[in-house]
Amino acid sequence: MIYRVRHTSTISYAAPVTQAQFNLRLVPWPWPGQELQGCQLRITPTPALRQQAPGPYCVNTTHIGFARPLAKLEVTSEFTMAIDPPPMPTDGPVDARLRTEAAGVADLSVMSPVPYLFASRIAGIDDEIGSWAAPHLLPEAGVVNSVSSLMAAIHAEFTYSTTATTSATPPEEAFARREGVCQDFAHIMVMALRSHGIPAAYVSGYLRTLPPPGKPRLVGADAMHAWVNVWCGQDLGWVGFDPTNNCLAREDHILIGMGRDYADVSPIDGTFIGNAPQKMQSAVDVTLAEESALTPS
Amino acid sequence: MTQGFTHGGPSAETDLFGPDPGTDPLAYYRPQDPGADLFASASATTSAAWRAFAGGLSSQCHCDLASLQPYLDSLVEDLGLAFRMTGDEHERPWPLNPMPIFIDADEWEAISAGLIQRAELLEQVIADIYGPQKLVQGGQLPAAVISGSDNFARRLVGRKPTGGHFLHVYAVDLARGPTGEWRVLADRGRFPVGIGYALENRQAIGRATGGLLASVGVRRQGGFFDAFRQGLAASCERADPRMALLTPGRFNQSYPEQALLARHLGFSLVEGRDLTVRDGRLFVRTIAGLKRIDALWRWLNTRDIDPLAFDARSQIGVPNLITAAEQGLVLANWPGAGVVESRAMPAFLPRLARTLLGEPLKLPNAATWWCGGEQEREHVLANLDKLVVSSAFRRPITGLPDGHTRAGASLDADDRAEIERGMALRPMDYTAQEIVSLSTTPVLADGRFEPRGFTLRAFLARDDKGEWVVLQGGFARVSEQGNLRTSLMGMGDIATDVCVVDPAAPKVPAEVLKPAKLEIRREQGLLSSQAADNLFWIGRYGERAHQTVRIIRALAEQVTTAGQTPAASSTVNRLANLLRSLGAVPAKSENWSLARLAGTALGSLEQSGSVRSLAERERGIAQLLRDWLTRDSWRSIQRTMPKYVPGDLDSMTLACDRLVERHAALSWLLADGMSRGPAWRFLDMGLRLERGSMVLQAAQAVVPGSASASDLSALLDLVDGQALYRSRYLTMPYIAPVFDMVLLDPAQPRGLAHQLVRIEEHLAAIPPLDDNGMPEPPVRLARQLRVRLEGLDANVLTGADLDSLRSDLAALSEAISKRYFLQEDQSPGKSHVRLLA
Repeated sequence: MIYRVRHTSTISYAAPVTQAQFNLRLVPWPWPGQELQGCQLRITPTPALRQQAPGPYCVNTTHIGFARPLAKLEVTSEFTMAIDPPPMPTDGPVDARLRTEAAGVADLSVMSPVPYLFASRIAGIDDEIGSWAAPHLLPEAGVVNSVSSLMAAIHAEFTYSTTATTSATPPEEAFARREGVCQDFAHIMVMALRSHGIPAAYVSGYLRTLPPPGKPRLVGADAMHAWVNVWCGQDLGWVGFDPTNNCLAREDHILIGMGRDYADVSPIDGTFIGNAPQKMQSAVDVTLAEESALTPS
Repeated sequence: MTQGFTHGGPSAETDLFGPDPGTDPLAYYRPQDPGADLFASASATTSAAWRAFAGGLSSQCHCDLASLQPYLDSLVEDLGLAFRMTGDEHERPWPLNPMPIFIDADEWEAISAGLIQRAELLEQVIADIYGPQKLVQGGQLPAAVISGSDNFARRLVGRKPTGGHFLHVYAVDLARGPTGEWRVLADRGRFPVGIGYALENRQAIGRATGGLLASVGVRRQGGFFDAFRQGLAASCERADPRMALLTPGRFNQSYPEQALLARHLGFSLVEGRDLTVRDGRLFVRTIAGLKRIDALWRWLNTRDIDPLAFDARSQIGVPNLITAAEQGLVLANWPGAGVVESRAMPAFLPRLARTLLGEPLKLPNAATWWCGGEQEREHVLANLDKLVVSSAFRRPITGLPDGHTRAGASLDADDRAEIERGMALRPMDYTAQEIVSLSTTPVLADGRFEPRGFTLRAFLARDDKGEWVVLQGGFARVSEQGNLRTSLMGMGDIATDVCVVDPAAPKVPAEVLKPAKLEIRREQGLLSSQAADNLFWIGRYGERAHQTVRIIRALAEQVTTAGQTPAASSTVNRLANLLRSLGAVPAKSENWSLARLAGTALGSLEQSGSVRSLAERERGIAQLLRDWLTRDSWRSIQRTMPKYVPGDLDSMTLACDRLVERHAALSWLLADGMSRGPAWRFLDMGLRLERGSMVLQAAQAVVPGSASASDLSALLDLVDGQALYRSRYLTMPYIAPVFDMVLLDPAQPRGLAHQLVRIEEHLAAIPPLDDNGMPEPPVRLARQLRVRLEGLDANVLTGADLDSLRSDLAALSEAISKRYFLQEDQSPGKSHVRLLA
């Protein structure tokens, strides 16, 4: 499957701000099964400073800074990605064994499960969420099945609502209200798994905009999307679960970055001097390369 | 004062009645287990030091040992007064005991060797974690022990600190067991909290006892702070580096300690918003523009230190600080060094010492088990009754919801089941430690010496050669109750000084000894824009409070002429209106009695312009200026309102008199005590601007309609001008001469014109930003205003003139603020945007 992705974000300020600096996390991280074929990040106006560095998690960070006052920032990320979906996972080790295996991995790198075992600032260890998830995560059940069961439970028990939460709403609150968007669902699932000692990571990325013929359109396809990677043992490695759509993340999901929570992979954040209110707009278009060849735009 | 006690050994004075408790009070000290007591088991030399010191204390207070505590408390309060406010959260949390702990030099040498070895070991562990990570790959250190720590800064893996040292300063908690063996309880790699208290305790004990400490042969501590300072400087790229202490701000629990340390070390005390990074260099914003900073002793957690490198939500950090650190800024300690603080780390240090140093730990830590290992977990569960169980990374966890350590034996069945349940799901979150019994030390309680368990915090720093030096002594805490004798008591409730007894130590007090080498300097430290701002406003608030008091007093004095009803006199009306316009009394107070007006303007907390509210503001700002105000000025600002009987005008007049005297005393202290640098200039400018503005407002209150002699007399009172007026004019007050005196005469020290003369002098003395020879806007405005006053004629002065003078004065204040202070919108804003479904 080959996708063309075009993502434009615009931030405008009511009055120009100074010393503006941003971290953009929009350049895809090299992920097994995904092949990046050309990638462009266009920034208007041209920043005085632009540096790209990997890390600190599975994320490419583009640091930009402006010497002049900034009234409007436009960032367009455009790339082509070939996806070779991983084989359907087998059921993997049982939860109890996975727990021991994960904690014992002698690796501190970003692909190691260990960094994703612990509380992070947004996704902590929560006893209430842990207890709620317990019936799905039995010690003697296979990990892929039990995580799938947890994912299905989130999909079934939570209401998708774009007005219920903001990006600053704590996941505990979204959990208590049983509603939210992909970001909330992903955080809740990550927290549930971590509470049980299962390594879980927060993933940001894109979904294909138009569904294959005869299939429903995926929720969250018109913006950046979030789902969960779960480490399922040395043999299976990381497996993607999308609680918003109750499916595995395979050929319809394009991974941009993976971290402990939203803060590690948030597409844009930064600092500036000024009190002006800001307005943010974003447009995402993900098309199959073959489609766009047929209907040039 | 100590002769006769210094040699008071047990054999010296024994007679039929035993030793004299007055000269040898420790002779009657009876610990239950003498072998486990620091004094009872001390060597002959050290024992003599204990007895000599106790005897000296006793003779000093005429054998009334109980009287020592209040005296010492007052000294501590005095020393710390510049850094704390009574009754607020920063107040010192525990009293200092008059009896220090004396440790034998040989015993201390052994501890020091162990501490230095441990510091070197931790440095190597940190360097590996942020470098090749061989310890993790080789299985000597589990990845989870590192990843689990909130202090692990993954962003910095692969980065090396400028100067090469991850740790510049390091603190260790120690316990002494019943047979004299020392054990490490905890490591502190981020901030050596308590080091300021060690400094303060020694100063207080030194003051309280004169030369007693030196006479019994106690090692001095001053060299340690010099060594630390020089060690930090040696890591810097520039030869004469500028160093600063980065504080989270006045609301941080440890702020008083940070302010004390900054002052003691001669570092600027800065907050994140004082700093900015340009082209990879760190600068502090000062009234003379940006000044480069070479080294920062940071008292901020790593995650808050740089919103672009770590948590974007941090408001107290400095954007791009990490970039500056990558390009030559020295940070002490290096961000991420706190990773060694996790409670799981000591479980691995004995083995790591052998691996990395090729030798065992000289100073063992309390035996620790990390439950992330299966065997360790089983051992802990099987021996829970004999152990204490802790949260490995100090977070709340199942069974330990507050994150605090608990003794296994104290758990009931439910608690235990909770811990077992948590450990089954997330074993890596738990550690257990052996219970360390403590030896005791004599503590002075209710006038008697009693044995108490103690723990000690020791401090290390690198000197200019990068070698570790140990503070001679430290900071000990003893338990308030006599029966707590295990490491579980944590840090106790009472502080004591720790003294190393060395027969070779100089026998003269530290003050007598000259510092080895100190360059003579005359300029003051950097005046950051923020400090200038605060100085200016403390001047303004102080003066506004002062003038408001004068107005209230003038009002209260009207009672003799006008009686209790305000309508009776136009003067009362005018003064009451003035108080209303100043926000000292509510707008709707026309029918109030004089007493109610005066009482509200003095003491109401609801009125932002009341004397009490203004004094609160003044005190709040003073807290931010701990490193600029002299101790006496500080004390004066901290004094509470004088007492008065609400409703009683006489007592309120008296209170006003006392407040006026106090303000006069404070102005004198500030005028006389502060060095004539920019700090003093900003404070004095604030005061003068406010005084000018208040005089104008008072004049405006007099102008409408025809002012009576009584009105003008009140105006003269406000500027303390009655006597001068009478000597000049020998008649009752008329409007033109009065206005000339209070507004236009530059020789009248409380008049408007004089304030402008002084402000102009100050502004001209402050170095300009550019050297293009042009006066800066504040200077130009001040000059214009002063010249305008010179040209005015009191005989034709109108209300419109007064209005325009007031707006000019406001414009001058605005120009000063714009040129010298941090602008409100200069504090980093934040962009936090949502870009997902």
